[in-house]
Amino acid sequence: MKKIESITDFYLLRDHIISDRPEGLSTLIIPAGTCGQASGANDLIRVAKKVILEKKLIDHIRLRITGCHGFCQMEPSILIEPRNTFYPKVDLGQVPLIIEAAINNEIIPQLLWTDSETGEKIERQQDIPFFRHQSRTLLASNEKVDPIRIHNYIENGGYQTLAGLLEKGKPDAVIKEIKSSGLRGRGGAGFPAGLKWELMAKKPKGNGKFLICNADEGDPGAYMDRSLLEGNPHSIVEGMLIGAFATGADKGIIYVRSEYPLAIKHLMIALRQARDLGILGQRVLGTGFSFDISLVKGAGAFVCGEETALIKSVEGKPGEPEQRPPFPIDKGINGNPTLINNVETWANVPVILAKGAKAFTRIGTPNNTGTKIFSLVGKIKYTGLVEIPMGMTLRQILFDIGGGQIDNREIKAVQTGGPSGGCIPEKLFDLPMDYDSLAEVGSIMGSGGMIVMDDHSCMVDVAKYFMNFLKDESCGKCFSCRKGTQRMYELLDDISRGEGTVEKLKLLEELALVVKDTTLCGLGQTAANPVLSTLRYFRDEYLEHIEARKCRGKVCKDLITYRITENCTGCLLCIKACPEKAISGKKKELHQLDESKCIKCGACLSVCKDNAVIII
Amino acid sequence: MIRFSLNGLEVKAATGSTILEVSKNMGFPIPTLCNLEGLSSMGACRLCVVEIENYNQTRLVTACTYPVTEGLTVRTASTRVIRARRMIIELLLASAPQSKRIQDLAAAYNVRQQRFRQEYENCILCGLCVRMCKEQMAAGAIGFQGRGQTRSIGVPFNRKSEQCRLCGGCLYVCPICELRCTYTEPEKAVCGGCANISPPCLENLGFDDMMCYMEPCVACEIKKE
Amino acid sequence: MLSEIHTSYGYLSEKALRQIADVTGCSLVDIYGVVTFYRSFSLKPRGKHICSVCTGTACHVRNAPGITEEFERQLKIKAGQTTRDKTFTLETVNCLGTCALGPIVVVDGQYHADVSIPEVKKIINRTRRNSSSSRIKPDNRIFPVTVSCSHCNHSLMDKTLLVDDYPSIKVTASFGRKHGWLRLSSLYGSYHVESEFEVPEREVVHFFCPHCHTEMAGAVPCPDCEAPMVTLLVRDGGVVQICSRRGCKYHMLDINGAIL
Repeated sequence: MKKIESITDFYLLRDHIISDRPEGLSTLIIPAGTCGQASGANDLIRVAKKVILEKKLIDHIRLRITGCHGFCQMEPSILIEPRNTFYPKVDLGQVPLIIEAAINNEIIPQLLWTDSETGEKIERQQDIPFFRHQSRTLLASNEKVDPIRIHNYIENGGYQTLAGLLEKGKPDAVIKEIKSSGLRGRGGAGFPAGLKWELMAKKPKGNGKFLICNADEGDPGAYMDRSLLEGNPHSIVEGMLIGAFATGADKGIIYVRSEYPLAIKHLMIALRQARDLGILGQRVLGTGFSFDISLVKGAGAFVCGEETALIKSVEGKPGEPEQRPPFPIDKGINGNPTLINNVETWANVPVILAKGAKAFTRIGTPNNTGTKIFSLVGKIKYTGLVEIPMGMTLRQILFDIGGGQIDNREIKAVQTGGPSGGCIPEKLFDLPMDYDSLAEVGSIMGSGGMIVMDDHSCMVDVAKYFMNFLKDESCGKCFSCRKGTQRMYELLDDISRGEGTVEKLKLLEELALVVKDTTLCGLGQTAANPVLSTLRYFRDEYLEHIEARKCRGKVCKDLITYRITENCTGCLLCIKACPEKAISGKKKELHQLDESKCIKCGACLSVCKDNAVIII
Repeated sequence: MIRFSLNGLEVKAATGSTILEVSKNMGFPIPTLCNLEGLSSMGACRLCVVEIENYNQTRLVTACTYPVTEGLTVRTASTRVIRARRMIIELLLASAPQSKRIQDLAAAYNVRQQRFRQEYENCILCGLCVRMCKEQMAAGAIGFQGRGQTRSIGVPFNRKSEQCRLCGGCLYVCPICELRCTYTEPEKAVCGGCANISPPCLENLGFDDMMCYMEPCVACEIKKE
Repeated sequence: MLSEIHTSYGYLSEKALRQIADVTGCSLVDIYGVVTFYRSFSLKPRGKHICSVCTGTACHVRNAPGITEEFERQLKIKAGQTTRDKTFTLETVNCLGTCALGPIVVVDGQYHADVSIPEVKKIINRTRRNSSSSRIKPDNRIFPVTVSCSHCNHSLMDKTLLVDDYPSIKVTASFGRKHGWLRLSSLYGSYHVESEFEVPEREVVHFFCPHCHTEMAGAVPCPDCEAPMVTLLVRDGGVVQICSRRGCKYHMLDINGAIL
């Protein structure tokens, strides 16, 4: 690749790429992020390539491999441009038919999406309810861009905003724009990004100013940062370049967790391509502005998502958080001014500068502008990534987009914000999803994880699960966090095993409040949230565990029993599946379950086709 | 000079002082466990938390690490602070009841019981030994290992340390008074010889074998129940 | 540095850490502190196959603990341990980020979605079989490609020596002081290679066209291992790039023109 030596050359390259684009061809788009690959998208891609080569169709159709589009449950899926035909859950055998239909600008009705209520077929992606109610600013780019081709990014308007700024823009104006857009940090705390940038810009150059992209998405259940990094890494690079231009930073670091290998791969390719083209490094696009980005990998520590811990990790030390003040903007990496923003925050930057702050504020609610990507997972019909305007109610997200409950169960609660967040009960589902409303009910937006639970989930178990996670991930420096999370876990464990007492519950609450007060960093301070919020809204479940020794969610193993009912047809499947040989019986006879041997693993339940296994 | 409010008093202090330093000078007692003059502050034990008010927000921070700032309001013994300290002492008793320092703290704050599952650990990871070894003795033979529940202090790979000079500084500063350095031949290690428990360099003894001179002792009371 | 060594050797040995201490001037105590802090680093050698069970929240509500227990039962080890014969290491990971498809198990980099308890045994057996099997079964997804040199466009196909029952791709290879023929399988996705000389694992090989003798190196290094990639033209359009390091599995078939 030839290095671009001037901004004029950049526009020439862009025009050349656009004019080179073959007209009138349909494009087969296959999402192949980590989810897609796990569902078999790679096989789909193979077969597609095979068919195109064998039938010599290379001049009749284009193939684009992208990152996640968001409807992960329906992958492997295929999207056809320009008609926007959507084929969910494609089988390998259907690929040649789809290719042929696409070339002839036709559709295959029986492979289209079927509306579960009306039964009608829907062709276009944007008409499907899951997509229709979303406001897909960022995720739409994932559909258009091939993440490992920088030319594709440029073709879709990429780096133009940067070029325009380098040519005519002023750093102060950029900061003003970000401030008036009201962009709040998308990593969890929701601190106004513009304010952070303003503070950073005032810092002297000294030994260097650092920009960090926090891609250590450790919240279990949240993966929108992963989809942005895999699907459109250049948007982050451009965002950081704009940030560097505005604040005077000269070095950038993307800190990405090692559990995201595909994201790391795509980032490395993107960074290299950007450097080769002259968009990163000395004299960006031939101007006097220089900025480069390096990649630092995490190594399995959730606490490194915290700003001060991240800085220590980058410095090569154990990721133990430090007290603030001093804040990273004053003393960050090696004592130098450091600005840290989340992946999604950076991805929104080019959007704001391109379309203007006013357009950004038109989406969302006052003080909570723009869109947010949530990962809708758990006991809900349609799981995946959804991008919504802030202020949309939880009920709308769950039912209009998510399709509502599965198996006719009741949706009991939604957990937001990961281990630092809280549970929102059904009666509060008309809550608008924005930073302030969530804080009022005792939860946080967090990075955007949204875990749906139905009546087969136990709230005590949920609190225990998060406490287990937090006690493992605590760095261990603060006595109150290390011992506090451990003791809270012990108490929750006691309650879940039927050994709870009312005094223990009181102790749990007392302890939770002290842990919240006395720990150093965000991990400890929010560690109490899962406990406190479940106690606030689901205290009766706790009391039921203690007083009645009953788990209504049928989860806590010591409080449930497995039983085989008369629905049993004697098919022997559960006998084979049981690892403890606790089930006995002959063919076509009612099987017997020995409760003393049962370890409640659930294997029999998962294989029984006659609904004969129940939990009481 | 920085002006700030300490327990309702207007105080002047040098820039860079910590709340703990100023409070001590003014005679306000703040309990500490992991803090020692001459060693850097770590803020590990959380006992020295005080309540500060900044821009209408109050929160608890450790006095040993927080630098005084202009216009700060500090309360060293508010209800919230006392409640926090008592819970932390309870947690300490639940982990290391045999320590005289911790028992004294419990007595001072009227903590007569602990309601958790009793553990008998030899180390509360306060880090005084690590800092002593590195900062005062310039040896750096021991360090923190692991994370969270598996965090411990020791020598890499549990091998004999080449840097350890057997100075005994780690034993001297330890609030639990137990041997920290995982020296491979414990009986040859220097023994601090503290009076209230049997020689620490032998293997971990059960609680029953420990000699206790404090009477009545909180831990004994619990054991009786 | 720690991460690279860990990737190459699978774990961090005491010897390696002491060497790092000498080279960097950092104290061993500090390095040991860093290594034990981060979960991804292992101080013990790990098994040939690494099974990671995701224990994120979404996977948890879909019975990830049950899956972990089943793995523990089948392999007779606890999470965090390696089997005695060193074939399998079982570990749990705090959220891999594929939450919509829970419960997820990753074995040797391959993701298995929606795993049920009976499936665990199948996954283990399949992994055992695949590591010892050498036949490529005929499959809809495996297909032969016909390639030519990217410089002189001469076909590289050789019908005289078949690999995987298809004409092989013949090139000249050199590594170290050795120089001779090398034949790749034309089945896209097969790693079978026949060569005049045995190529050691991890060795980077230089590929030359046997007709025009130009080195067939691409401009772009391999995203997995940074070795140079070899570019071959596909007859019906498109380009194949393969990594020139023995043992690295990276390959890419591009039908819309080469990645620049």
